[in-house]
Amino acid sequence: MSTQPLTRRSLLLGTTGLGAAGLLSGCVGSGGGGEEPTTDTGAGSGSAPTGDPDGPVTLQNSQSDPAPKEAIEQIVADYDGNVTLNTVATEQFRAQLSTYLTSATPPDVLSWYAGAVARDYAAEGLLLDISDLWTGDGACANFSDALKSLSSAEDGTQIFVPTNYYWWSVFYKKSAFEEWGVSAPETWDDFMALCEELKGKGVHPLANGIGSTPWMASGWFDYLNLRINGADYHRELLAGEHAFTDPEVTAVLEQYKELIPYFDPNMASYSHQEAVTPVAQNEDAMYLIGAFVTQFFPEDQRDDLDFFSVPPINPDVPSAEEAPTDGYFAASGSQNPAGAKALLTYLASPEAQETFIEVSQSSNLPTSPDVDTSSFSPLVQKGIELLNNTEEITQFFNRDSSDALQATADDALTRFLANPDDIPAIQEGWQAAAQRVWDSEQ
Amino acid sequence: MSTAAPALPDRRAPVARWWAGVRKVPVVVWVFLLLPVAVEAFWVFWPAANSFSLSMTRWNGVGAAEPVGVKNYTDLLADPIFQTAVKNNVIWVVGFGGLSVLVGLAMAVLLNRPGRGIGLYRAAIYLPMVFSLTVTGMFWRVLYSPDGPVNASLGLLGLQSWQRQWLADPDVALYAVLVAAVWRQVGYIMVLYLAGLKGVDPSLEEAAAVDGANRWQRFAQIVFPQLRGVNAVVFAVTVIDSLRTFDIVWAMTRGGPYNSTQLLSTYMFEQGFTLVNLGYGSAIAVVIFLLAIAFIITYLVRSARTED
Repeated sequence: MSTQPLTRRSLLLGTTGLGAAGLLSGCVGSGGGGEEPTTDTGAGSGSAPTGDPDGPVTLQNSQSDPAPKEAIEQIVADYDGNVTLNTVATEQFRAQLSTYLTSATPPDVLSWYAGAVARDYAAEGLLLDISDLWTGDGACANFSDALKSLSSAEDGTQIFVPTNYYWWSVFYKKSAFEEWGVSAPETWDDFMALCEELKGKGVHPLANGIGSTPWMASGWFDYLNLRINGADYHRELLAGEHAFTDPEVTAVLEQYKELIPYFDPNMASYSHQEAVTPVAQNEDAMYLIGAFVTQFFPEDQRDDLDFFSVPPINPDVPSAEEAPTDGYFAASGSQNPAGAKALLTYLASPEAQETFIEVSQSSNLPTSPDVDTSSFSPLVQKGIELLNNTEEITQFFNRDSSDALQATADDALTRFLANPDDIPAIQEGWQAAAQRVWDSEQ
Repeated sequence: MSTAAPALPDRRAPVARWWAGVRKVPVVVWVFLLLPVAVEAFWVFWPAANSFSLSMTRWNGVGAAEPVGVKNYTDLLADPIFQTAVKNNVIWVVGFGGLSVLVGLAMAVLLNRPGRGIGLYRAAIYLPMVFSLTVTGMFWRVLYSPDGPVNASLGLLGLQSWQRQWLADPDVALYAVLVAAVWRQVGYIMVLYLAGLKGVDPSLEEAAAVDGANRWQRFAQIVFPQLRGVNAVVFAVTVIDSLRTFDIVWAMTRGGPYNSTQLLSTYMFEQGFTLVNLGYGSAIAVVIFLLAIAFIITYLVRSARTED
């Protein structure tokens, strides 16, 4: 028996030694780690390979809900080319998107959102310039100008292919409104009177789900800001050109405060999806949410759904609606840009858009004017009309700013909804948090 | 083993003695030891050390990381959510550690006796441990939902004024999650103590009983001191488990409502992986590391001292 017993001294000595070795190698490693992505980007935008339109490409998909996922799988199965489809849960996709784009062999095509996020990646040189799809007989050439400007980078090139979008509105069940003997309001006063009347009938007038999905609290904030201060102010506020302590924001929160008694008292416990249940059971009456809500209702209730736009409050501001746009971009580091563009062309095609909308069961709108919408439900027809007639289009709080700013809104607005008495304190806290976000973005 | 040869006092210098000890170990053992050390160094220590250098930068995962010195740490001090998270972590370590040890020990003492169906009770209490923390979280979310069993039971008992939106009320949400976590941990602690109690010499307790010690005195003076070894294990397990708590909070509240249930771990995850502030997230990770290492070193030193 010749083994030495492990003494305290040798144990600690060993641990310290290992720790020091780790630290040293860490210092060496971190220098390389910091530089790596830059060289990757350089290689990607420098000598870009042209590739083969029929060659293999990878499609990284973030639409992980069962119905949209099935729709993507269907679309890829119908495609002639050689596509590998990876579907990743949305939250994980969000966290890893920058890693995907900066890797040496990035996925060729990725699904994501139009607007600020895509623009930020384009500014880093990580997205493939696909302007040629937007000119001549390119797949997106006949899309609307609003979509084109939404899909453009700061330098004016196009980097995004929008394939569908949806609208936000106040959704309700026609049969329930008939039962209660009420109708959709035209003016803001009508709307407040309707809330009061429904409350008198023992119904919670407004549904919401701000529990595990606190961003839902921004829906009403966005709309009240659009109706009171207008789309321009809203965009500037989210871009950091105004402060959340402004009297304009105070006015929005004062108005929001008047709505609080009409919300379902359990909204802080629900997610946006769980909040649909009381609406389906006629316990709640109206729900301001995106058109994707239709997929959460029982199948036999979907035809019963109708919506109205949040009524105007300030007559001096132009009409505005929120219409978040989804679609695809390609990585600049793609090994097969020609194949990526071929796939994007296919994804933008009326056929692929139609398949997506049919199979995904949501009420999304196609971006291609060539999609035959006559067979779509009356609800979707009404949504198309709503967006065609509005003067201004915004997306949603996070898509018009950033996920980091969304986190400050989540904190401030859920805090406000739980305790709305001290609006100035809420505004100051929000501004301080937002300022930290803006400072760190510069 | 030659017990006959008396151990001569070793007069050689400590370094030489150490070297002699090293040489006694066969080369093949060193190879076997070095391989896992190399793997560990590359996959654990190197990334961990990287988070130190990352915490001195601002990096969103794209492009080069920008060095900012200790700015992330000074920002942390001014960050109200970080302060909430630190406070919650203290509540968590004390509440989770204290409750699960107290209840687990009580269960072990109560169930450490032969009897009909005692195995059934032990199994029932240990059962929650087989669920992952995420599943536990999902399950308790249903119990706590506004129309769920917890509120329904309170209603049946006529305690309507106690009904709450347990996970949406910032005054109670953290404690609601704590109860769920303790519910799961108790069985584990109980099993550890049951094992410890098996090593307790029953004749000592009998002797004390004969001397007229009551039940509490026998437990406090005779049984508990003999559980010292188990206590050290339970202490380490509990502190490490409470510092690394993440999944159950994330599954139940995601740190909400308005960040009132953030722990250091959930806030680090949110900053690092949801908002992709890798520098700031790393700074929080470093704080967690320092806290954990302080506890672990204390534990290692204590246990090494008792070994000596």
